Amino acid sequence: MTGQTQGKTIDQNEPVVVIIGSGAGGGTVAYELTSKGVPVVLLEAGPHLTADDWLNDEWPAFSQMAWLDARTTSGSWRVATDFPNLPAWTVKAVGGTTTHWAGATPRFMAHEFRTKSVYGGIDGANLLDWPITLEDLAPWYDRAEQALGSTHRHGRPPLPANNNYKVFANGAQRVGYRFYATGPYGTNAEPYDGRPASIQDGFNFQGDKNGSKWSTLVREIPRALETGNLELRSSAQAVRITHDSAGKVDGVEYTDGGELLNKQAARIVCVAGNSIETPRLLLMSASSLHPDGLANSSGQLGRNYMRHTTGSAYARFERPVHMYRGETMAGIIADEAKHDTSRGFAGGYYMETLSLGPAFLASFIEPGSWGREFTELMDAYERTAGMWMVGEDMPQERNRVTLSADVKDNLGLPVPHVTYDDHPNDVAMRNHGYAAADRIYGSVGALGVHHTPPYPSTHNLGTCRMSADPADGVLNEWGQAHDVPNLFVSDGSVMTTGAAANPTLTIVALAMRQADHIAAELSRGTL
Amino acid sequence: MTAQDGADLSQQAPEQLPQDTAGAETAPAKSAKGLSARQRRLSIRLLRVAYPHDRFPDAPYERTAKRVEEATSDEELDSLAQGLDALDADGFMDADEDSATAALRAVDQQPFFRQIHSTAVVALYDDREVWDLLGYAGSSFEKGGYVSRGFDDLDWLPDPRITEADETRVEIVTDRAAQ
Repeated sequence: MTGQTQGKTIDQNEPVVVIIGSGAGGGTVAYELTSKGVPVVLLEAGPHLTADDWLNDEWPAFSQMAWLDARTTSGSWRVATDFPNLPAWTVKAVGGTTTHWAGATPRFMAHEFRTKSVYGGIDGANLLDWPITLEDLAPWYDRAEQALGSTHRHGRPPLPANNNYKVFANGAQRVGYRFYATGPYGTNAEPYDGRPASIQDGFNFQGDKNGSKWSTLVREIPRALETGNLELRSSAQAVRITHDSAGKVDGVEYTDGGELLNKQAARIVCVAGNSIETPRLLLMSASSLHPDGLANSSGQLGRNYMRHTTGSAYARFERPVHMYRGETMAGIIADEAKHDTSRGFAGGYYMETLSLGPAFLASFIEPGSWGREFTELMDAYERTAGMWMVGEDMPQERNRVTLSADVKDNLGLPVPHVTYDDHPNDVAMRNHGYAAADRIYGSVGALGVHHTPPYPSTHNLGTCRMSADPADGVLNEWGQAHDVPNLFVSDGSVMTTGAAANPTLTIVALAMRQADHIAAELSRGTL
Repeated sequence: MTAQDGADLSQQAPEQLPQDTAGAETAPAKSAKGLSARQRRLSIRLLRVAYPHDRFPDAPYERTAKRVEEATSDEELDSLAQGLDALDADGFMDADEDSATAALRAVDQQPFFRQIHSTAVVALYDDREVWDLLGYAGSSFEKGGYVSRGFDDLDWLPDPRITEADETRVEIVTDRAAQ
C-alpha cells in the first residue's frame, strides 16, 4: 500500500504545521487551524476508508480497521495473558479511533482535575492535579458537544430506548439509581449538522455506515480539506521527529509504504497518535540533545499509562432481549460516578450499555473458556443484556509504554511494549461495578450474570501528561512540551489523570483549546 | 485494504492475527498433508464436546473442524494428529459426555488443544447457521437497520425514562469534600 494525498499541495521543504494522526485530537486540531487560515500537513498512518468500505461483520471489520502492528505486553493485567499482542483496540485509518468509537460523551467532573488534592495520598498512585480546571475547559466542552452533536445537550433530543437500554434502565430504577438516560451520546437522534438520524443498525465498532455518528472522518477532515489549507497524506506513518541545533523541532520523517523515507519540514509538530504510538514516536526521536526521548527531561514520557478501570456484565433472562439491535452504548448510569470512599476506593465509574455479536462475544466473554459453562452463556445470546463499566484507574509510574528491546516491526523499528498492573483501587472499583451489575440485572429477573474481564484497551490515556511543574510531566497546560516550545501533543496522552468518563469529548475539547492557543501564538509571532 | 483481505483474516483468532504486513506474508503455509478420515471424525467429536450446543446440527461443527485443519501449519499438524490419536486410544470417540469432557480437561493446556480452541472459538461463532440458531441477524445496514425492525420491541418491561434526571448529582461524598 502506498500513500495518497488529498487537498492542497504543500512542498516538503515548506515548514508548516505538521499533525501526526487524524483521530479525535489530530483531526480536530487540523480543522481548527486550517479554518483559521493556517496551512497544515496531516499525516495519517492508516488508509482512507469510507462508509462504503465498512462491513457490518465483526471480524472482517476488525481486520480492516484495527491497528494490528506488532506490540508486546507484560504486567498483571489479564490482557497480557489472553491477548499478548493486542494490548489496545484502536483504529488505523483516516479519522482514527473516532471511526469506531461507541459514542458516550460525559464531561469530566470538577474534582477529577484535582485528584491529588481531593483523593490525597494513595500508595503506588502517581496522582497529580491538572494544570487546568473544569472551569477552564467548560467553554470548550460546549463547543465540543456542538461539534459531536451530543444528545441531551444544547437542546438536542435524547435517543430512544433500545431493548438493551430497557433492561438496563429498568434495573437501574428498581435498585434506586436516579441518574440514568440514553446519553449524552455523539450520534444523532434527529438530523443535525449535515448528518442523518440513527437507523439503529447496531454497528458502531465496525464504522457507522449511515453517517449518523460523529467522527473526524465525516466532519473535521472534509471541512478542513474544503478550506484549501490542508494536505492530508494517508498511509503515511511518522517514524521520527527531527530538531535543529537550538532544540526546536524542524521536521517529521515518515514512510508512505514505499522504499523511501519522506521528510516534511515543520514549524510546529502536533503528535496525536494515541497514547501508545505517541510516546513510542517521541522515544524513537531520541537524540544527543534528548537522550531519553524527545521532550523527556522529566522522565515521565511513556509513564502513567492509563486504560480506565473496565469490566463487562452479561445477564441472561427468560425472555428475548436482542441486545444487538440499536445504538450500542446509548445508555448511561452515572450514580456511581462520584468520589465516595465509603465504597472502599477513590474515584468513580459509569455503567453503559454494551452489546457484542456472537463472533466477538465468544472470544471476549471469558477468554480461554470452553465446555458447558461457556456454551450456556452463548446459548442465551438472544436473551442476554450487556453493560460495560468505565471508571478512573490510578496513574502508576511503572505502567508505561517503552520501546521493545528485541521485537521490531516491518520497518525494522522497535515495537511498543505496554506494561500494566491493576492498582488495588482499580480492583476494588471493578468488583464494586460487578456487584452493581448483579443488583441491576437481578432486580429485573436475571437468571445469571457473567462478569467479563477487561477487553484490550479502547481508552488509552496518560503517557505524556500535562503538569504545571516541568519536573512532573511532559507537557504544559496547552499540551505544549515543557522542553520543546514548538512541539505539541494533541491526543489522550496529555491527560494528567484519566477521570471516569469516556475520553473522546474531552480529547476534542482539549484539542480545540490547544488549536486556539497555537493560532493566537502564531499570529503574535511567538511560535 | 479490500473486503477480501478482511474475510481471510477473519478466519483467525485474535491472538493469531497478523501483527503487521511482514507477518502476514511470512505466516506458516497451510498443510499440504492433512488429517486422516478417523482423525477428522475425532476432531468433530472434540468440538462437539468442547462447545456443546444440544440444538446445533453437525454441519457447523464439521465446517469448524475443516477451518481448524486449514489453519494448521505443517509443523503443527503432527502435534494435532498425535493429540487426537491419544484421545482415540483412551476411547474418546465413544465415551459419554462427562467422560469425554474430563478427558479434554486433562489436555486443555496442551498446545494442540489451545490451537484448536483459538481457531474454533472464532470459526464456530462466526458461522452464519450458528448466528441463525443463536438468534443473531448479522448485517443490518442494507435492511435499514432496526429503526423499523424491532430495536425497541422488548415488551416484558415498562418503557423507561430516556431523559436525564431533573436533579443535580452529588460528585463528592466524603469528609474530604470540605477541603
